[in-house]
Amino acid sequence: MTGDRSPGQAFELRDHTADIAVAATGDTLERVFAAVADGLAAASCDDIPGETGERFSLSVTAESREALLFDYLDELIYLRDVRNELPVEHRVERIESPEVEGATAAVTGTDDEGDADADWSLEATARGVPLAEIDAREVKAVTYSEMRLERASDGEGWEAYVVFDV
Amino acid sequence: MSESTFDADGITLEKVRDYVWEIPQEGDMRVPARVLASEPLLEEIKDDKTLEQIKNTTHLPGITNHAICMPDGHQGYGFPVGGVGALDAENGCISPGAVGYDINCGVRMMRTNLTYDELQGREAELVDSLFANVPSGLGGGGIVEAGIDAVDEILARGVDWALENGHAVEEDLLHCEDEGMREGADPDKVSQKAKDRGKNQIGSLGSGNHFLEVQRVTDVFDGDVGEAYGLEEDQIVVLIHCGSRGLGHQTCNDYLRKIEQQHQGLLNQLPDKELAAAPAGSQLAEDYYGAMNAAINFAWVNRQLIMHRTRQVFERVFDRSWQEMEMELLYDVAHNIAKKESHDVGGEQRELYVHRKGATRAFPAGHPEVPKAYRDVGQPVIIPGSMGAGSYVLRGGENSMDLTFGSTAHGAGRLMSRTQAKDEFWGGDVQDQLEEQEQIYVKAQSGATVAEEAPGVYKDVDEVVRVSDELGIGDKVARTFPVCNIKG
Repeated sequence: MTGDRSPGQAFELRDHTADIAVAATGDTLERVFAAVADGLAAASCDDIPGETGERFSLSVTAESREALLFDYLDELIYLRDVRNELPVEHRVERIESPEVEGATAAVTGTDDEGDADADWSLEATARGVPLAEIDAREVKAVTYSEMRLERASDGEGWEAYVVFDV
Repeated sequence: MSESTFDADGITLEKVRDYVWEIPQEGDMRVPARVLASEPLLEEIKDDKTLEQIKNTTHLPGITNHAICMPDGHQGYGFPVGGVGALDAENGCISPGAVGYDINCGVRMMRTNLTYDELQGREAELVDSLFANVPSGLGGGGIVEAGIDAVDEILARGVDWALENGHAVEEDLLHCEDEGMREGADPDKVSQKAKDRGKNQIGSLGSGNHFLEVQRVTDVFDGDVGEAYGLEEDQIVVLIHCGSRGLGHQTCNDYLRKIEQQHQGLLNQLPDKELAAAPAGSQLAEDYYGAMNAAINFAWVNRQLIMHRTRQVFERVFDRSWQEMEMELLYDVAHNIAKKESHDVGGEQRELYVHRKGATRAFPAGHPEVPKAYRDVGQPVIIPGSMGAGSYVLRGGENSMDLTFGSTAHGAGRLMSRTQAKDEFWGGDVQDQLEEQEQIYVKAQSGATVAEEAPGVYKDVDEVVRVSDELGIGDKVARTFPVCNIKG
């Protein structure tokens, strides 16, 4: 399955024996994060209804770029269980790095060492579709297994690969 | 390829003896890795990353003797599913990734005195009633709605809480590992987030490969042990497969992240971040062990509530009391767990954190940790098959302590990814075929789940069990075949 509903971002569900993997691309870090989250929603439900459910916002902080992606997806799974809603149509409004602004951080590539106390942060929104209205399968957790978050090979935008436990 | 080696696309396995293969120690491996399998199973195992993952597991500090892959092994995340790793509890580590997200995912079997004849003709009614009364799927709620106080009680006391609240009888505790209460459980080490997820899910199956199945016993291979387990041909039994739900998943992730933040040095030595481990003796290792033990209790209560609810459903359908139908717990096994156990290592007793991820404890006759009821014959081991194939009851084999730290397989093991399964099967067809050809009544929240769990996506459970039996790590006692199956 693929999804490229929003311009500048796309995801693909990949085969993994016991689990499900999402491969995603985005013009910006924000868009690749949202694309992975859309992949998580698609892995949870084959047929997401268009209209139902209210949008809500969330924010996440973490100590590195990869950890921020992990914690963002972990938070979405947590919110699904406590809100009884499947978060869909993800928008990541803003990602801030510990350095001055997002752009600087985005260029530093894979070096996430920096100041361990400094936080990366993210502001996002999603639409919450009540679980009672859909056939959804439980994605248990996000994993670090084989996780990749890096500059696209052509230097344009970002690529991510995340395995989910189902 | 000579007779004594098996070439798995770049990894060469050396045959130690029948069904025992070894990947020799090289590079940063601390010990060799072992795979317990027949050649047909090895052909399947080599097709994904299982072998690479079991090799990676040997990098964990304190790993003792070998990292071992069971006959049903398949690719997981970090540690393979079907993996056993015994890590030294003094100088080694404990690894949340090697336990898995679904802490104390496991299986229990309940006996009845009903025969298949008595049930025939009632399957549709029974499957509908079970489906209506046992919460499953995402957002289906739980059998009890509890506040955080009750969650804390469950985490601390396990099935004892269920007993006090009318969801269990004394006998249930006596037929559960640790009598349904893990010592050293520390509810304070389970995060608020995990408890928030758990409180709406107490007594719920979840989805994916979790299910409740009414089965008939088709074969008893070992009459004496069968008798000790109260199993005979044609008898109806109930199998329940589920775990600690969101509470366990969250607990695993909470600790993976803490390890990343606090033990980066150890993490950097490991080839896969999902193997994240806390050094034995560290505060975090203690905290995780306390939290994991609490999640173990939660999962036991989860399966207990579902079992007790099933008794009530049977009472309604068959119009007699569950006591009259002798609906008693046979045993409950965990297959995602780490336990501090004492093992003989080269003639010396050592304390080890035995991690079993997709592997089942299989202690033999006479072991002091086997409940009294079964100590003379060995611990029951329950191996669920797919919904179109049989399941098995084994008993802990006498070679298990020497070969596998007292462990055997946990199920059939997946062969095919979920996406591929959905391309190959359609849920409705699978369901109709099972009902028409096999008289198996399936009811699921989602057709996709039925397709993803179609019998064809699993390894041959018969072959997995045959290898376990041949190795003497888990001996065949009885086989069962599905009658009704409900899932998320």
